[in-house]
Amino acid sequence: MAFLKFSTLCIIIALMVSLILFSAFIALLVMITPTDFIRSLETKEMQYSLRLTITTSLTATFLAIIIGIPVAYALARKEFPGKNLVKTILDLPMAMPEIVLGITLLLLFGHTPLAQLLSMIGIKIVFSPLGIVVAQFFSALPYTLRILSSSYETINPRYELVSRSLGYGELETFVRITLPLSKAGLIASTAVAFARSVGAFGAVLILAGGIYMVTETLPITLYLNISYGNLSMAVSAGILLIIASFITIFIIEKMGGGKLWR
Amino acid sequence: MEMIRLENLSVALGQFHLRNINLAVEKGEYVCIIGPTGAGKTVLIETIAGFHKPYKGRIILDGDDITSKPPEKRGISIVYQDYMLFPHMTVYENIAYGAKKKIRDKRILEEEIERIAHIMGISHLLNRKPETLSGGEQQRVAIARAIISKPKLLLMDEPFSALDTRTTEKLRDFVKRVATEYDLTIIHVTHDIVDVWSLADKVAIMNNGTIIQYGEVEEVFSKPADDFVAEFIDINILEGEITEVLGEMVLVKVGDTILRVKTNTTTGHRIRIFIRPEDIYISNTPPDYGPGCFRAVVEKILENGPYVQLFLSRNNIVLKAVLTRGYVRCLGLARGKHVYVYIRPENVRVAET
Repeated sequence: MAFLKFSTLCIIIALMVSLILFSAFIALLVMITPTDFIRSLETKEMQYSLRLTITTSLTATFLAIIIGIPVAYALARKEFPGKNLVKTILDLPMAMPEIVLGITLLLLFGHTPLAQLLSMIGIKIVFSPLGIVVAQFFSALPYTLRILSSSYETINPRYELVSRSLGYGELETFVRITLPLSKAGLIASTAVAFARSVGAFGAVLILAGGIYMVTETLPITLYLNISYGNLSMAVSAGILLIIASFITIFIIEKMGGGKLWR
Repeated sequence: MEMIRLENLSVALGQFHLRNINLAVEKGEYVCIIGPTGAGKTVLIETIAGFHKPYKGRIILDGDDITSKPPEKRGISIVYQDYMLFPHMTVYENIAYGAKKKIRDKRILEEEIERIAHIMGISHLLNRKPETLSGGEQQRVAIARAIISKPKLLLMDEPFSALDTRTTEKLRDFVKRVATEYDLTIIHVTHDIVDVWSLADKVAIMNNGTIIQYGEVEEVFSKPADDFVAEFIDINILEGEITEVLGEMVLVKVGDTILRVKTNTTTGHRIRIFIRPEDIYISNTPPDYGPGCFRAVVEKILENGPYVQLFLSRNNIVLKAVLTRGYVRCLGLARGKHVYVYIRPENVRVAET
């Protein structure tokens, strides 16, 4: 190994790892024929799963962005007591296993006064499609916050100060100046939130229950079908998930959002 | 009429403190705040703009106490050194942004934008995006945006420091013109003494979060309040004793050198005197002026662009003088050369005692 330069070694390792990962994708793609794939897409189960995944993921993404925007702004621009603790708590779902996130949400929405309150007003989260949205939302939120607050941090606060001095209030300045200047971050965070929502598995499985054609999203379809031994359905679900990821990465790179990912 | 008054203004920003700032600016006056980096100049004007909350003191603008008003309710505009033009808007939209809150009528808005664009020489740039403009052009747009709504007070934070010398000179002209045209009251933070000489009516010298001296430019630059100001404005300070009174003139003995000074003080007093470097005349032959003229040695020559700084010594006195390059060449000045030095009595200022 002594004849190998360190930089050459680094490049070789990078190439090898990407080759292994790429082979895994190819293995998935060649596992079934295009006909099997189309036949799987035509099944009621896959169509239900696809529709449910898109609906819940769009809802969760919308919520993560709408709530993420003010939260990320507060974290990026303002100082308040307990800011670091709030930051850590909001980041936590990113570091902890999804399945643990699922169980904490299950307990919160199943066995607490909050759960009773929600059930009194007719909102059922546990083992329901709404549970999917909640699980997806919490899986996506930390990523949304990271990207959005990074993009606010890159905007010179003096733009906002100048706008204020020209007679525009805080909210108006945010809407007219900060928001347009953070457009790339907003698009990137939307893409990531959608990808995280589509791919959310552990938390969705625990909180929403992975019930066949009730709370069945694409990752659940993959999981259920692989347990039944229905490889073609499982692989088709996997391919759909990979397509979603590719589109996300493409959007992020296109918007320069990669720079915001710190 | 007074436009703005700061009364005992004190601000804490982390470890940094502004302490007991008092400043009054008349309507239409141009005030420069000058001081070393970290003196608190930017914090001071950002506090006036409403971006930092003072823990003590008041800000009175045009008779109103605005200390706790938010920035958007103050009627004070700010221009930064890095222009801060909104990159997602064209030049026209940037300027219009500054006016929309005051001018609701679209036709009047258009006319006002045309007028300011004409004055600032940016009429041909209105449809361009800020990133395609030069630094000087961007700063002209930023100034136009800041003043189109006719603010009660315009704050400028080192507006020329990112620009080259020639652009800065042009921009000073624009600022002068626009200040008169729009009857502006301006507080301009700078570290460049040329800004003060060429633009300001008054100057405030800041250090360590306080204003050390504030007054008419000529007054501050010829009679520094303390050694810090003297050093900062690069003035010669000498100490001597009055030996003889000749009418309204006195002879002051500094070391073994006699200088003629205009003052009312009587014999026997020790006084401090100030001499600006540009007020020192140098010649190769003895001018027949009597006292106030003496011989000195050129100790050091510092090239400083078109000007040259000379350090002249005579026994224990060292004097700084500023000459043009051409004059230095003409006199054939070099290190170690003996020259004659003359200082006009009216150019020697006496410190108040």
